Amino acid sequence: MSLEQFKNRNVGTQHYKMLDLGESPKTPWCRFKRVMKRTFKGELFVGLWVTMREMINALFRGEMHTVKYPFEKLPISPRYRAIHEMLRLLESGHYRCIGCGLCEKICISNCIAMETRYDENQRKEVSEYTINFGRCIFCGYCAEVCPELAIVHGPRYENASEQRASFALFEDMLTPIDKLNLQQEYPGFGAPTPYADENIKKTPLAY
Amino acid sequence: MGVHNSIGLGKEITITIDGKECKSTYGKTILQIARENGIYIPTMCYLTKVKPIASCRMCIVNVEGVEGAILSCQEKAVDGAVITTNNEGLFLERQNIMKLYNVNHPLECGVCDQSGECDLQNKTLEFEVDNQTFTAREQFRPIENWGHVSYDASLCIMCEKCVRVSTEITGDEALQIKFGGYSSEIINVKPEKNYATLGEAAAVCPVGALVDTNFKYIANAWELTQVPSSCPHCGGGCQLYYEVKPAGIENRRETIYRVGNNYEFSTLCPAGRYAFDYDNTTAVKDPEAFNRAIEAFKKAKTIRFSSMTSNEEALILQKLKEKYGYRLLSPEAKAYRDFMDAYGSVTGSHLYGGDLKTLGKSQGIIILGTRLNDDHPTVKYHVNMASKWERARVAYIHPMEDPEMQTIVTQFIKNEVGSEEGVAALLAEVLLRDAALPESARAFLSDLDIGQLSAESNVGEEELEALKASLHKRHGFSLIVGTDLYAHPRAKEIAKIIALFEKYGGYNVICVPPAGNAMGISLICDLDDEAEGSVIGYNVSGDFTLSAMGGGDLDMPAMNQQEGTLTTLEKRVVPMHVATPYEGYILNDIANALGLDAEYTIDYTAQLPEARGYKAVDFDTLPDYFDITGEAHRGYLLDPKSVPVDESFDEVAELEDFDGTIVYQCNPQEHFSPFTAMSKELASKPLLRGSAQFATAAKLQDGDTVSFEIDGVRFERVFKIDTSMKGTIALNPIYDMGLSWALLSSYRFSQVKFERMNNEKVGS
Repeated sequence: MSLEQFKNRNVGTQHYKMLDLGESPKTPWCRFKRVMKRTFKGELFVGLWVTMREMINALFRGEMHTVKYPFEKLPISPRYRAIHEMLRLLESGHYRCIGCGLCEKICISNCIAMETRYDENQRKEVSEYTINFGRCIFCGYCAEVCPELAIVHGPRYENASEQRASFALFEDMLTPIDKLNLQQEYPGFGAPTPYADENIKKTPLAY
Repeated sequence: MGVHNSIGLGKEITITIDGKECKSTYGKTILQIARENGIYIPTMCYLTKVKPIASCRMCIVNVEGVEGAILSCQEKAVDGAVITTNNEGLFLERQNIMKLYNVNHPLECGVCDQSGECDLQNKTLEFEVDNQTFTAREQFRPIENWGHVSYDASLCIMCEKCVRVSTEITGDEALQIKFGGYSSEIINVKPEKNYATLGEAAAVCPVGALVDTNFKYIANAWELTQVPSSCPHCGGGCQLYYEVKPAGIENRRETIYRVGNNYEFSTLCPAGRYAFDYDNTTAVKDPEAFNRAIEAFKKAKTIRFSSMTSNEEALILQKLKEKYGYRLLSPEAKAYRDFMDAYGSVTGSHLYGGDLKTLGKSQGIIILGTRLNDDHPTVKYHVNMASKWERARVAYIHPMEDPEMQTIVTQFIKNEVGSEEGVAALLAEVLLRDAALPESARAFLSDLDIGQLSAESNVGEEELEALKASLHKRHGFSLIVGTDLYAHPRAKEIAKIIALFEKYGGYNVICVPPAGNAMGISLICDLDDEAEGSVIGYNVSGDFTLSAMGGGDLDMPAMNQQEGTLTTLEKRVVPMHVATPYEGYILNDIANALGLDAEYTIDYTAQLPEARGYKAVDFDTLPDYFDITGEAHRGYLLDPKSVPVDESFDEVAELEDFDGTIVYQCNPQEHFSPFTAMSKELASKPLLRGSAQFATAAKLQDGDTVSFEIDGVRFERVFKIDTSMKGTIALNPIYDMGLSWALLSSYRFSQVKFERMNNEKVGS
């Protein structure tokens, strides 16, 4: 095992990277030139004309393109990756998560954390599970890696909140038990292919 | 070293493996030579530290001119052999073995604790077995909880590693195989004892069949960060990894989840494996307490400290002594230092000459002055290896028989309490009769009043003659002496007699250091005998107490929270790294405030005294690994330094009478100090244990609460009759005594007066 990491006692200063922002204008003349160039480019009027045209279309020709959100919402694609949902088994109502920890491992923004324990039924119980949505980048790896289709992305994309970081606990994401009949099988990212049934092989029985 | 009967052993040979010419010596197996040369041969059941098990057949190779496949793990290579380790046929064969291993193996990798570090997973992928081709009728195999470990027979692949470890290494012999074809399984034949040594068996399990009960399902292998370190508990300094991860979702503090080790080559004892949760988590920087500490240091005349102190901290204390003239008190280490000084005055070296590797290959072993199984499990493991592999004769000389040693010891010699000097002299007289002893030693031995000594020590001449006879025609002898001798009133005289065995008898002598880093402290510090004035206690109670276990005036980091080195039984200086965070002050801060100057404690590593065998090596350059052949590259070995020789011997002293009720200070195998006592896994109630005979002699009844005093420390213990014990000596553990623990340093047997606290029955 390498001991390198233990020799670096300079904790907290080693991860910075400088960004390449290009050359900034150096002399006042160069700076003046840049301001002028940005101010008097004719593209401004091209943009204004587009707005004008669309306004006329909408007001006088009845060609309105905007959806009246939040009174009106468009259906979103099943592959859209919004706030996670934890699904339950349809038969028993037990949550599907087995606590394997693959989502925690694969999460590239390191926002999933879980606690597991050995429960009374000799099973692995997920005692706590959180996702830090302040960090989550909704990449969908967790849903893709989940071997049980337990964690999936739902359609809930409205995640504005008063604080930058917001957490969700296991219970927040879990299908409420009284709404189990409404639980949708997830067709999106990580779901079995339409031909999955044909690919299932029976375990050979020798007896 | 043992001399082997096979002819040609050790002869140079050259073999060709996969076209590569490999030079080696005769006696090594094909697999060993292949590994030395970096050639990969897959194995499932091979465990380097035990004899080849040969149950998996994965290591098969083809040898030119030999029909069929050869098991490379147990076949010795012969000169000129041409070996192929891999071809289509061998691959198919190995693939089929993997298919059979996977028969009905539960597909629960998702929750299995071994997932990610599982040999079965690795080899299944390596040999491209992507489905379970065969199945058998499922059997009912409930998960068994054996206490420290749990066993799931349905995951077991019957590689036998656990059985071999429990038999050949740890010697608890609790595990056996229940043969029965497909329904074979491992059984625990001593479930009532709940051996913590089974943790070693769980560590070598290649699958998730045998796992630590308390670790089960709480963390995945890949979530744990391994921090390499050395175990500070017993003085063995065994290699280990602390496996750390944040404690939970709410508490992101790094916590040790379990301890791992390089189980291919080394073994941990129960304390090393399970006593890891003693870190000081509540410490904060309290400047007021710190200032009080500085004030106390300025006022104090004496610093008293326990053996749980690293080399660097010992050096800081020594430097403070040089600067301010403190008296340094560490009674255990001081007694060891005095013993070793006397020992060196005969051998001419400041260290003993023995080592564990030679011990494990000895054919004759004598154990004197230690309850080895409890005092030093790692040394016991090596005695056990010698017993199992070399059929070593093991003579165990002690006032108390130890049932745990029964399967290893071939001759138990019971001596009277306090008679160790006479016993050592008698041993030397009998076993060194033909050695080329110097004049003074010869005169000393021939002047012995054998009859009187035999009578006093209760060791019969015929017992020793029988011992000598049993060692006849054997080679490679070891002598292990322990803590009973160091605090003995005649320790120096005993040391000189023992030293004769090393210098003139050719014995591999190991003077097992007391627990903790007593050896390092004894080498680094100039220790004093008596306290004077105000006392600073470091992990011992004093007028101002620095404590890593709570209850002190200023918090200190525990051993797993600090960088530093330890000096081990193997005379090796090994590094420890920081496993869990610590927010308080450390000894180096105090030293800096008092005028020393070092940024980190480990700046002192290179300054350890070269006159005492240390090297001027920086901490960061200390290696810590085992190479592929199992050779330890850990820290460095101390250089033996020559010391003046003075071979004068003193007459054996009259024996002090030890009558009545005697109590022997002895911790159970799992415990060494208040730090191991903090372990949740090893939590146990400390009891005064004695035989029924002892109970009668001391007029005690099972369940009585008694109070007694040793070295000014008051004990209150529940007395328990232990039917496995004999004689009139009771065992009194001291590991739970907190800050008083390190005050207990006199001769381990003491006569005590019991005061009965009440007559209530506690327990049955």
